[in-house]
Amino acid sequence: MHGLWTMVANDLRQRIRDKSVFIFSLIVPLALMGVLSLVFGGLGEDTVDLQPATVVASADDADQLGAALLGAVDSLQIMDVTIKRVPAADVRSETEASGAELGIIIPEGFSDAVLAGRAASVQLVEGNGAALETGVLISVVQGALDQFGAGTVTAAAGAISGLPHQDLPALARQAAAGPPLLTLTEGQAAAEQLSLRGTLVAGQAGLFLMFTVGFGVLGLLAEREQGTLARLRSMPITGGAVITAKAFTGFILGVVATTVLLAAGSQLFGVSFGSPLVVAVLILSVATAATSLTFVVARLVRTAEQANVAQSILAMVLGIAGGAFFPVQGTGFAATLLDFNPIGAFIRGLGISAGGGSLDDVAGPVAVMLAFAAAGVALSRFLPDRGAQV
Amino acid sequence: MGGLLVEAVQIQTKDVLDVSGLVKRYGDLTAVDGVSFHIRAGETYGLLGPNGAGKTTIISMVAGLVPANEGTVRVAGREMTPSETEAKRIIGLVPQELAIYPDLTARENLKFFGRLQGLTGRELTLRTNEVLELIGLSDRAGDLTKKYSGGMKRRLNIGIGLLHRPALLILDEPTVGVDPQSRNSILESVERLSVEGMAVLYTTHYMEEAERLCDRIAIIDEGRIQAEGTRDELITLTGGVDRINLRGGGNMSLAAEALRGLPAVQHVDNDGAGLMLTVTDGPTALAGIVTGAGAAGMSVTSVEIVRPDLESVFLHLTGKALRD
Repeated sequence: MHGLWTMVANDLRQRIRDKSVFIFSLIVPLALMGVLSLVFGGLGEDTVDLQPATVVASADDADQLGAALLGAVDSLQIMDVTIKRVPAADVRSETEASGAELGIIIPEGFSDAVLAGRAASVQLVEGNGAALETGVLISVVQGALDQFGAGTVTAAAGAISGLPHQDLPALARQAAAGPPLLTLTEGQAAAEQLSLRGTLVAGQAGLFLMFTVGFGVLGLLAEREQGTLARLRSMPITGGAVITAKAFTGFILGVVATTVLLAAGSQLFGVSFGSPLVVAVLILSVATAATSLTFVVARLVRTAEQANVAQSILAMVLGIAGGAFFPVQGTGFAATLLDFNPIGAFIRGLGISAGGGSLDDVAGPVAVMLAFAAAGVALSRFLPDRGAQV
Repeated sequence: MGGLLVEAVQIQTKDVLDVSGLVKRYGDLTAVDGVSFHIRAGETYGLLGPNGAGKTTIISMVAGLVPANEGTVRVAGREMTPSETEAKRIIGLVPQELAIYPDLTARENLKFFGRLQGLTGRELTLRTNEVLELIGLSDRAGDLTKKYSGGMKRRLNIGIGLLHRPALLILDEPTVGVDPQSRNSILESVERLSVEGMAVLYTTHYMEEAERLCDRIAIIDEGRIQAEGTRDELITLTGGVDRINLRGGGNMSLAAEALRGLPAVQHVDNDGAGLMLTVTDGPTALAGIVTGAGAAGMSVTSVEIVRPDLESVFLHLTGKALRD
């Protein structure tokens, strides 16, 4: 063990001294995060500031449901709405001319039609610059109409079932004015999903982890190229200690770089990943999984160039498939493969952690990452050694 | 390099290194074929042969870098294999290729390899300083080695092998690519280490180095030891004859005839520009030869005595030049 730690300390000293680890593990991903932050600056924001909107409307002042409809629009809490009343014939032209967000034409006898169970049509005119505000206004109108529709249905049903004609308006009014039978309660959309910004930070950290741990196998190849590997093998240490030291160096660099990236990304993007303990376990797990690949790469390559290529391919494939840039989903066997992706598991784990999950809750993703690590090490034992292994 | 480094090495066995029947195959190629030799404490043993003769493969097996297909290597009585660690504490390897870290200083390089050899604390510091002094790098000990000249790197490369005072120092072509001054410094150091009791295994394809340093020499070609012994023992393999070249003018045919009658002269060739004689004990016979040639009408303008050397031995044994 003494020899192992001596080699790890020596490797870390050289990696820090040649600065390449800082460039590829911290500066590049942070710069990339910065660029993505600029591009997707508003991505996944929880609140959106809606601009004041103007609605051009025509309605009979005596029509109760028409007034209720405009009242629903006028009383929106999330945006300021100004209602401009014009004759029905002028709604379209005025909407276009004034640049209003929406025009509403409520037909004459609207309330009577609803209460009698007859069909009635409310026309909407979208403004030329239809934007988010227009969509919100349409949704509000649709919601009110749906509720009025309940009155229409009630009246129609009453008529069909033979209720006295004079009782139908009261029933319809009651149905139209009553609370909705089904409600949708908005909570945390999914406690196991990160926001888009959180996914971006976690994905980039996972992606560049794959590059960072590669410094271990690159160190092994550098030993061969500079002749020091022969000298190490003449020392009173086992051959396995040399490659273990390289892997451990990559592991340490990976853990440190991922921790820094998550911390910096959290600040840049304003994301929280939850319990530091849970995040730490996830980082250690994904770094273990990534490090196992260095054993595989060490078996397959002979030169530093080959190692760079192999490491880049693995990083990009696992990173993209894991959702480092955008969410990736599959079905059947593809879904199983994606589930076994350590970066995907890492992002899922961080999602659980961000949602308040405990260590028990991230057991699944952690198990996936550790299983991947075990598979990587096992695979490396069966692959033919092409020369980098000692 | 100055100062002395090596302490008396206490080896409980007669031979520091005992190599027996070593064979190494790479597919169909037999790189080393039944090599056996031994080295005692204080002895410098040379493996002399051209590039590709198998010297480095032998070194690799002796240092435990690669396993042998057949045969054994024993270092101070311990069998050496790639997984053996105790035997590796006894050896110091100086590989042919530079084996130092360019992004570390000389002191950091020495301390790193010293720690791997089990040195710690004050002992590590003391020996590091001793070696830096020995290899003449004390004043540059804090500089990154990538800023060193080739000779300085070579000296550090050797210093690392000496740091833990090994009983057996293995030097694989340590002077390749070294300037004459550094080369001489390296050779002097090896001579000094041998005097102080260290066993040295030295590979080279430079005949002069083998003749200067080695108590015994094995001539290697095509993976086999062609001959082994002291320099003088090897020379006798050629028959122990010298060559004398006479250059000049006059009646060379008559001179050649006259010289053939001298007892020390075995053979005379006349190429028209001079005479080439094969003689026993050339220096003793020289005076009589020059006198006899003059008396026979040849005006001698230059004389050259070519004594047999290891190059001649190699040529005699293998039919090819050492640097082929």
